Amino acid sequence: MATGTDQVVGLGLLAVSLIIFTYYTVWVILLPFIDSEHIIHKYFLPRAYAVAIPLAVGLLLLLFVGLFITYVMLKNRRVTKKAQ
Amino acid sequence: MTKLAQWLWALALLGSAWAALTVGALGLELPSPCREVLWPLPAYLLVAAGCYALGTVGYRVATFHDCEDAALELQNHIQEARADLRRRGLRF
Repeated sequence: MATGTDQVVGLGLLAVSLIIFTYYTVWVILLPFIDSEHIIHKYFLPRAYAVAIPLAVGLLLLLFVGLFITYVMLKNRRVTKKAQ
Repeated sequence: MTKLAQWLWALALLGSAWAALTVGALGLELPSPCREVLWPLPAYLLVAAGCYALGTVGYRVATFHDCEDAALELQNHIQEARADLRRRGLRF
């Protein structure tokens, strides 16, 4: 079995993914079938956010990947210039 | 047909089915809750796939079998090899 930090990190990732999955499933799949007077609707944002938030997160991820690639490419170019 | 072509075919088919149902081009009168579940469906599938990937990675990291004896043995082999090469003149 993996030891120490490996186990903690792994189980942490698993727990986070399960929490996100359950919340999102209830939000997108189950809420439309629940009576709009029920108190559970208090715990969920308006439905439009169910698409807006993942879209924004996805765009942010793309931004970070692009910035990282730019950084690495610039660093490489400076290194080759120095070597010449 | 290549794998890419198959995936694109499947995506195009499912995508057009979803678009047709959401826009109402088929003239079907779906009940309101069904329509409310239908339109965020692509986003939901993407998030679910992402959660599955994250969860699988986390689970496999947590249950990976460490071989501590093999790791120590490998470290010893590396030390021996370095000493041997240094003796033969290779500078690190």
